Amino acid sequence: MRGWMLAGIRRAPGPLIGTVVSAATAAALSVAALSIAVAHTEAPAGRLAGASVVVAADTTLHVTIGHGDDAHQSLPLAVYRGVPAALAGELARVPGVARATGESGFPGGVVRPGDVDLVAVTAKPGVPAGVLAGRIRAALPGGRGYTVATGAARGDVANLNAAVERSDGQILGAALIPPIVMISLFVLAATTALAVNLRRRRFALLRTVGATRGQVRRAILAELAGCGLAGGLLGWLPGAALGALGVRALAAHQMLPAGSTSWQTPWLLLIAGGVSVLVTVLSGQVAARRASRTAPAQALRETAAERKWPNPVRVLLGLAAAGGAGALVALTFSQKSPAGQLALAFPLLLACMVAVALLGPLLVAAAAWLARPFQAAGGPSARLALAAIAAQPRRTASAVIPVALAVAMVGCVYFVDSSIAHATATQAASTVTADRVISGPSSGPSSGTVAGNGLTDATLRQVRALPGVRAAAGVAPVALAAADPDLEQVNGEAVAGGPLGHVLDLGVTSGHLDALRPGQIAVSRLEAAPGAMGVHVGSRLTVYLPDGTPYRATVSAVYARSLASGDVLIPAAVTAGHTGTAAGFGQLLVSGGNPADVAGLAAGHPGWHVASRAAANAASAQQAAQDGFANNLILGVVAALAAVALVNTLVVATLERRRALRLLGQVGATRSQAAAVFGWQAVFVIVTGLAAGVAAGTVTLLAVTRAATGSLTPYIPLGPAAGLVAAVVVLTAGAVMIPFGAMRRREPSLAG
Amino acid sequence: MPTQTAENPVVTQETAAAPVVLTEVTKRYGRRRGAVAALDGVSLSFGAGTFTAVLGVSGSGKSTLLQCAAGLERPSSGTVRLCGTELSRLSQRRQAVLRRQRVGFVFQDLNLLPELTVAENIALPLRLDHRPAGRTDIELAASRVGLGGDQLRRRSAELSGGQQQRVAIARALITRPDVIFADEPTGALDPHTAVGVLRLLREAADGATVVIVTHDPQVTRFCDRAVFLYAGRVDRVLAEPEPAVVARVLHELGERGRS
Repeated sequence: MRGWMLAGIRRAPGPLIGTVVSAATAAALSVAALSIAVAHTEAPAGRLAGASVVVAADTTLHVTIGHGDDAHQSLPLAVYRGVPAALAGELARVPGVARATGESGFPGGVVRPGDVDLVAVTAKPGVPAGVLAGRIRAALPGGRGYTVATGAARGDVANLNAAVERSDGQILGAALIPPIVMISLFVLAATTALAVNLRRRRFALLRTVGATRGQVRRAILAELAGCGLAGGLLGWLPGAALGALGVRALAAHQMLPAGSTSWQTPWLLLIAGGVSVLVTVLSGQVAARRASRTAPAQALRETAAERKWPNPVRVLLGLAAAGGAGALVALTFSQKSPAGQLALAFPLLLACMVAVALLGPLLVAAAAWLARPFQAAGGPSARLALAAIAAQPRRTASAVIPVALAVAMVGCVYFVDSSIAHATATQAASTVTADRVISGPSSGPSSGTVAGNGLTDATLRQVRALPGVRAAAGVAPVALAAADPDLEQVNGEAVAGGPLGHVLDLGVTSGHLDALRPGQIAVSRLEAAPGAMGVHVGSRLTVYLPDGTPYRATVSAVYARSLASGDVLIPAAVTAGHTGTAAGFGQLLVSGGNPADVAGLAAGHPGWHVASRAAANAASAQQAAQDGFANNLILGVVAALAAVALVNTLVVATLERRRALRLLGQVGATRSQAAAVFGWQAVFVIVTGLAAGVAAGTVTLLAVTRAATGSLTPYIPLGPAAGLVAAVVVLTAGAVMIPFGAMRRREPSLAG
Repeated sequence: MPTQTAENPVVTQETAAAPVVLTEVTKRYGRRRGAVAALDGVSLSFGAGTFTAVLGVSGSGKSTLLQCAAGLERPSSGTVRLCGTELSRLSQRRQAVLRRQRVGFVFQDLNLLPELTVAENIALPLRLDHRPAGRTDIELAASRVGLGGDQLRRRSAELSGGQQQRVAIARALITRPDVIFADEPTGALDPHTAVGVLRLLREAADGATVVIVTHDPQVTRFCDRAVFLYAGRVDRVLAEPEPAVVARVLHELGERGRS
């Protein structure tokens, strides 16, 4: 590309700074997400560090679902299936093996007698681990169904949670990339349009002196590619640092194995540059095309160059997007299954945002018309501000749109989260209807051994035998795998005793849930719906226990209140020996009986704790509200992009009004009058942007809230809502008034 | 004083070979009832090597005339021949190529790309045409308008208004064009500097046909001919115009507009 085409970047980069900043943000966030997605997540081998080869029963669950290419699905297991202790003896006979010992007692280890968790094999001196592993594979009975690990892979066998955590964290990182790229395209389309529009006379001049449309378009795209490259360079290191921080935070929240490090490689620089250039050039296509197609004479006339009304094609596309959003709303609310409703939420938000972006000028014109009654109160400055807005709705729209999009995106992500968290807490606070709750020493899903002091079947029998007890049930959280329709982890509870209806209020919608016998399963409405598991009472269903053992059962009940208690209930009897912990319960729920008897029973066991229903519910509500780390991460990414877009566009849009400011000065406006004109315009942008953003976000928020919680009332905490509004006000006001201040200082014509 | 009126347009057999020929050119802005005719059936020709001023009060259509003649605007009806080619038969691309090879432009302001140096601005039409822009070519073009040395390396934004117009003229000249269009080239200059710039243009044009749109009677001192537009039509044409006469005609046209 010829040097003169890029002279604008080198010597007059002002209007392009916004584009570079947006591109850098896109590059940094993409690099961060990518370096999380492919983070270095080797778990330490720990106790197995001395072993050359580790042999365990396959630590991955393999399931074939339906037919086709993706029919074979797999999921890492958190619990050992166990191998016979005799395997160690067989492996000791493999040539090159110095010693083979059965090992047990790992977290998630087997508790069946005669089985060990794994066999650790030590090689004779001079035998490479890889060679030995090959011999062992060949010698194993059947050859398949085993995990044979050497080197770094031993860590995953020593710590099964590592694989589960890795897939959680890496999936989150990978899932962030598409929205980052998509939102960046949105953001950059606005910034590049402004950057090009700001210099349309330059391109008109080029056309006049004989540049063809193609030359102008290529010059603009070359410039944008240069900006993209600069953005990639600037975004690379911050992105890599952000990725490292993200990995550390995810590891701290058990979403990556402890000790994981982000992907650090020089390739990231190439990826940052590539993503950045691609996103910038793609988003600049419309702006470049429009600039190259403007008749040179038209662009050279300063005032007439800008059309008042948007292109009819834009309006038609905007109406199509609005129509599409309307159709999606109808579709969402007619969807019977919450899963289907949730699947439509993101397209719905996107359609609403596209509609707002395309119809922005019409919205601004309508808002300006509505604002007319108020202008008298604001005096001449307000009148002038409104006149400028009404005369150029397109120009004002370019400032309103990023505000609206920021409000819609951030508001939607945050308040969907808060609504679900609130509904979860509400359900948690009212799910338990038992009079008293006995908690064991620890009640986590994979809490290791309970050292003979746990809440067991025997305890449950003891409690049930207490005089006056109407109902007593034991519950333990259990992580199952199921096809819904893809193989995924499903959180549920193992239950024993009953009648459950006297201790739990799960909102059973069909079937009966008084007692759950082996061969039966209860499923939440969310999971039972078509699009998820697609079952109803009487259906046959297979779920996989933590060690991968299939459990085939008939659905005996479908229940609504699943946010706090998990999506599946199975009888505790079938989980025994498959959960990696000693059989037992996290909690015993008791109704009836004498409080003193229950307390007396607990008093004999250190670590047991008896709480009233209210106290137990309050505790679980608090626990439910805490786990929002992943959502906060997503929210942070979206908020960062939205804030950059908002500030960027507004700064450029304000600088574009330099001529208007000069004119104000020339006709004798004082500084405070000029400030008031810009201030009123900022007020207009804030109010219109907030209104449009709230409208666009509310549609999606209602759809998602209804799908996830069954209620049409979202939970919008006042503090964060006020915080969002305050952030928008501060960012908008700052992005308008600070550039205004800078321009005003350079405008000597302004009086006083 | 030989005078032609609108009823007696200056299109004859011999002028058909002129570099710029407009025939019955009409340009309307807007649509249907709200349409305004900026040009209304204008026929004019500008012979090879001539220096013509196009004058008129504001809104008389003189800038539109220049833009239609240069192919920057497409006439609503009528034909424009530029350098022997009828513009309506050329694609946008061919028109752009024709402009950079055969036509030079000088505008009132916003003539130059501020981020480019003087030398780069002068060389722009050659660069766009994928032609080599040698130092000597640029220096020669610059020296013809009295620029040289360090000035060539300076950014155009750092120059005075008069110097910027000289750079624009050098840019217009570097391709040795057949036609130079100038739209109010002295509009932003003081009278003294304006005279200097016009003298330069006249001397440097070197056989090119020059069309200057202006409202300044003094400009006509350097012109062979003055064309007066009124309400989008050719009102009259003066050969060898005298600034005083031109001023009187402009005053007359202005008065006509008021009554």
